[in-house]
Amino acid sequence: MDCPLISLDHIRQIYNGRTVLSIDDLDIGCGDIIGLAGPNGSGKSTLLKILAFLNTPTAGTISFMGSPTTIKPGPVHRQVTLLVQEPYLLKRTVHANVAYGLRVRKKSDISTKVHNALIEVGLDPEKFSNRQWFELSGGEAQRVALAARLVLKPKMLLMDEPTASLDTKSSQLIRKAALRARETNGTSLVIASHDLPWLNEVSDRTIHLEDGIIQEIK
Amino acid sequence: MDFLLQGFLQGFVLLFSGDSETFSAIFATVGASSFSMAISLLLGVPLGFLLGYKDFFGKRVIRTIVDTLLSFPTVVIGLLVYAFLTRHGPLGGTGLLFSIPGIAIGQTLLALPIIIAMTAQAVEALDKRLPMTLITLGSNSRQILWATVMEARFSIMLAAMAAYGRVVSEVGISMLVGGNIKWHTRTITTAIALETGKGEFAMGIALGIVLLAVALIVNIATTGLKKKAVH
Repeated sequence: MDCPLISLDHIRQIYNGRTVLSIDDLDIGCGDIIGLAGPNGSGKSTLLKILAFLNTPTAGTISFMGSPTTIKPGPVHRQVTLLVQEPYLLKRTVHANVAYGLRVRKKSDISTKVHNALIEVGLDPEKFSNRQWFELSGGEAQRVALAARLVLKPKMLLMDEPTASLDTKSSQLIRKAALRARETNGTSLVIASHDLPWLNEVSDRTIHLEDGIIQEIK
Repeated sequence: MDFLLQGFLQGFVLLFSGDSETFSAIFATVGASSFSMAISLLLGVPLGFLLGYKDFFGKRVIRTIVDTLLSFPTVVIGLLVYAFLTRHGPLGGTGLLFSIPGIAIGQTLLALPIIIAMTAQAVEALDKRLPMTLITLGSNSRQILWATVMEARFSIMLAAMAAYGRVVSEVGISMLVGGNIKWHTRTITTAIALETGKGEFAMGIALGIVLLAVALIVNIATTGLKKKAVH
């Protein structure tokens, strides 16, 4: 695998004349777990959207596996995926939500993969597969969204405050499932969280952002 | 009050005995409304999607025109279609005046703005996180478009129900363009108008029951769809 997976080179993000992110050099390697810490408005979400190739930076270059990459729906989005704090579930069943990414990739054996992904996030497939999107609690919806991403075996999983509004049980299940994805598939993880002790415990590096600038890397 | 009760009883008899004149009007209504709904959905859903999804020059003007057409009186539509289809009109040679397809054209003009406006509204009201979700799950541009339509499907069905309710209950277009010809272009609503004018309540009531049944089915389906669209 070509490493680093993603490289940022003199990235600047400017909104309404204000620089909200300024990173000169950042590499994220294969299988890395990177923690993102910092107060609200420090640029964590902006950085994650740039790493997810959702936002075009105002200036600078972002490369994926060594190649500078443009921001539009394309092959890179089949390798990098993002889980936000309050994810959107498609107006379908749990099974269809988890299967969606596999279907757009025209994968085979979808039912088995969905079944396994639901088990990974602690949801009983027998009980949840046919549930509609509106029949889920916040924690269940978040776990379905994570299963929909883990089933794709992405090279990189970005998580923006994935457990901020969840109960302890759901938080633990999500954390475990994400770490297991790294162990089994070598998925790189970038996790933005206010839970500094957890970030320090699981991350290879923790990046502290403030006003869009990297203050320190531990 | 006796004549009303008598009318109801005779109405049920006409319906359940399969009275051919009554069912001729029902079939004319089903034919014209099915035809007009098929065309309205085929044209209206893509146009409404475009109006709600894309930003382009003149979008606000088009939106205003479509919204204005929502309150187009059916007799005015009937008048316009009549003027086009009459022998001296620009489409006089088509022979569509006083025919079921002629009624369907008028009803399409009635349903189309409803489908376009409600589809556009449904697409605009979709959750702002949807495009980001679809991209991060690996969809390409074509898959994003299709998934967006699918996300708006309950609201689009709601639009179809609203349009169908309007089409099936209109009188103006059917009367003017169809001409209310017995066994040919007499629809439920024009038959009710004619029979009531003649003092023949039974057939009017029989057909009224059919219209009410249609309204009830549309209403029940709409309520269910509204719940799903809101979630």
